[in-house]
Amino acid sequence: MPHFEFRDASWKIREDIPEAYREYWRKLARPGSWWTGVERAAIAAETRNALSCAFCEERRQALSPYAFKGEHRHDGRLPEAAVDAVHRIVTDQGRITGTYVEQNVAKGLSREAYVELVGIVVAVFSIDEFHRALGLDLEPLPAPEAGEITRYRPAVLSDDIGFVPTVPPGGNVGNEADLWEGARAANVIRALTLVPDAFRDWRALAGAQYLSFERMRNFVQDPDRKINRMQMELIAGRVSAVNECFY
Amino acid sequence: MLRVSATTTDTAIDLQGVNGDAQSAAVGIEFGEDLMKFAESLARGDQAALADARDALLSRAGPAVLIDAAGVAANFQRMVRIADAIGIPVDDMENEIGRQVREDLGIERFASAGNTPGARGDNAPGISWRTSE
Repeated sequence: MPHFEFRDASWKIREDIPEAYREYWRKLARPGSWWTGVERAAIAAETRNALSCAFCEERRQALSPYAFKGEHRHDGRLPEAAVDAVHRIVTDQGRITGTYVEQNVAKGLSREAYVELVGIVVAVFSIDEFHRALGLDLEPLPAPEAGEITRYRPAVLSDDIGFVPTVPPGGNVGNEADLWEGARAANVIRALTLVPDAFRDWRALAGAQYLSFERMRNFVQDPDRKINRMQMELIAGRVSAVNECFY
Repeated sequence: MLRVSATTTDTAIDLQGVNGDAQSAAVGIEFGEDLMKFAESLARGDQAALADARDALLSRAGPAVLIDAAGVAANFQRMVRIADAIGIPVDDMENEIGRQVREDLGIERFASAGNTPGARGDNAPGISWRTSE
């Protein structure tokens, strides 16, 4: 049976949304740049486990997440550092620091693997949140596919922002020429570019759930949306404020 | 972006809707209060409040608005996690609109403000934001 048929929805859902979700599910199942298909599926499953993790709930209340000891509720398919990173991104992302990312490198979670993991977690979490927002059952995860990881790294990288290297604004050349147009790119666009496919997945989902890069330039009303840009940005702003996101 | 879209359309709004003030959310924005409460309840993970907010938005604005709102809210549940997990700083702290919005909303209190050099008045970019816990 195809994924994302939304049989339990009482309303018709814009077709570009299930199309984007189906495409992401196909990619999620395949080997990535730094994680196998089995591992990517395990990261997706752990993203769901995080919401029912008692340790995460208690740690969120602690003054510092680093002084609080305990064990996550997880299914044992991923290394501890990866499990903790998944849970932190879902439940306590505002207190992730550069030191935390570096300490995970020392535990074997490379910066590249971390970025691909971030991409998977946020994509699956976001798709799940769309379902929860509409009161729909979550989509079953895809069956993982066998194959080799690519270990692909962009040719041009910079250490000027964030906790990991990113493709700089003028680094959209060669294999990365499709990332954006021109020589300017906002930091949030650059964020996942250490793993370019994670960025491409992000862009595709954003185009369905929110707006494509091109249509973000329209600050009035996108012709294919029923809410105008102010309504969109009120939603975006409230979600960001509740999550205490400064960016 | 809310300020920019309001300016573009010459609409008077009240930014405190972003901070959860229901009356403010309704200023200049159709279904503003319902949209704000819907987004808030999803981000808080409050299932009872979410069900109420969904019903309210559906009854007043209809399913097409509800679905678009769900997409945007879900998308920004992702965006905040990308920004904070990667630790990206604000692009231009000198931009006047951005500065005014941050001041109005008081968001420099957020822990993730530490990812942007100078966000809390420090002048040591590249030191505290990479190492502090």
